[in-house]
Order: sequence, then structure tokens, then C-alpha cells
Amino acid sequence: MTRLILELGAGNDLYGEDYTKAACRAVQDALHHSSLTLFRTLNLAHGDMQVNVTIGVQHPERVDAAVVAAELPRGKAIVTVVHGGQNVTDPDSGSVSVIASAAVEACLDLNPNDWQLSPT
Amino acid sequence: MYWLLWDRTIKQPVERGKQMAKTRVAMELGMGSSLRRGDYTQAAVRALKDALWHNSLSMAEAFGFAKEAMIVDVEIAVQHPDQVDTATVKAVLPYGTGTVTVTHGGLDITKPTRNRAAGTSDKTIIAHAAVLVSFDMERQTSAPTTAGARV
Repeated sequence: MTRLILELGAGNDLYGEDYTKAACRAVQDALHHSSLTLFRTLNLAHGDMQVNVTIGVQHPERVDAAVVAAELPRGKAIVTVVHGGQNVTDPDSGSVSVIASAAVEACLDLNPNDWQLSPT
Repeated sequence: MYWLLWDRTIKQPVERGKQMAKTRVAMELGMGSSLRRGDYTQAAVRALKDALWHNSLSMAEAFGFAKEAMIVDVEIAVQHPDQVDTATVKAVLPYGTGTVTVTHGGLDITKPTRNRAAGTSDKTIIAHAAVLVSFDMERQTSAPTTAGARV
């Protein structure tokens, strides 16, 4: 599997302390800053794509990975949650803002020998 | 004389015997602003950086091409296209060849009078950037095809 792109994103849940919601927003942020147009232009199959998602939050055990995986529209998604992200505490109210980081890697079994630059 | 075929896979005519030429492999999107200076070029540069640095493309490696073969076309949209210095925008790109075009779009928001500090602009600017990454490429005709690629 060759990695085609690494997409980066950040998402938050400002007042709900919902780590899954923050993670889903981070994934959406990562996804919607780019489009892999080569699937259309080179007529490749989306289903063959493997999507590795890594989520970073301060409390990994509070992320529902299956819900995050459902955010991925195409390909076979694998979600890993690690300690990361950021929590920002308001000392006056005690409220915690949860920030999640997301890295989405799109991989495909692509053989470079199948392709060449057009002769100029 | 050459024949034009209608290739339904890429929805555009291609020369017979040629798989494809300039082929778009990725699009990156970004947004940038100029909050105080009213600088359209600055907003455009930030939009372009937002588009580029949200992603790490490894298409060149995946296809076995040199990074320099990347064709990077940048489309900027702001409310005053004539005020964008395209050379400054293009200088952001780390490698590859391509173009910078600027069209009318983005958004200008007028500041409330009481928020206007002396020496600052009277408006807040939003610029959009679309980065279209292409290669002048085609399928190898001699080598056998393998999994992942379908014709």
C-alpha cells in the first residue's frame, strides 16, 4: 500500500466535553481540505483505498472509534486513538474545551511501473 | 490526421493511442484572511498556505515521478482580484510549475465604525485558494497492470 496523501485536521467540542464529537469534527476538517481527484481521472476504485485515521485527544478511552470510522465516506477505515490533542480549562468556571487532532492517511495499492510521465 | 475518442472515464476527448495527458490528481482547499491591513495579497497567501499545509501529498513518490514534474495551478478568489500580487502568491509554492489565477469571489466585511483603529483598513478580507495538482502523465502501455488500477 502506497500512501497518496496525509490529511490533517483539528476539531473541538467547546462545552460538551464530548471527545467523540471533537474527533469527528477533526476528521471532517481533515477530509474537506482536499479531494483525491485521481480516483476519477485515472478511473481507480475507491473501494480499494485503505484509510488510516489517527486521533489524538487527552482522554483516548472516551472516543468511540466506530462512530469516528463512520465519518469516512470511502475506503476501508482503521481508526486509532492515542493520547494527544489538547484540553483547555477555564479556571473560573471549571469548564473544559476538548480539542482533537486528526491525521487521515489514504493508501492505495499503486504500482509506479504502470504509470509514466507523458513524453514532451 | 488523428482521431478524437470520447473517453467516458475522464469525460473529455483524448487522442487515440494516448491514455491521458494533463491529469488532475488532487485538489487542496484553503481560506485566509487579512483582519487589519486590508491586504488582498496577504489574505491570498494565507489561503494558499492553509490549503497546502493541511495536507501532505505523496503522489509523485507513489507514481515514481520527480516532484518537479508536478503542475500546480492555484486559483484565488477575492473581492478585488486586481489587488492581488500573483508573483508573491506563486512564491509560496515549494516546487513544481503552474499558474496563479485570481477571480472575483471571497468576501469583504465592513468593520463597525467604532472598531476602526487609526492606520488600519475599514474592512476584513476573506480569500479562498484552490490548489489543483496535475501531472502530464499516461498509463504505461508496455508494463503489465496490477491490482489497484483498472482501465
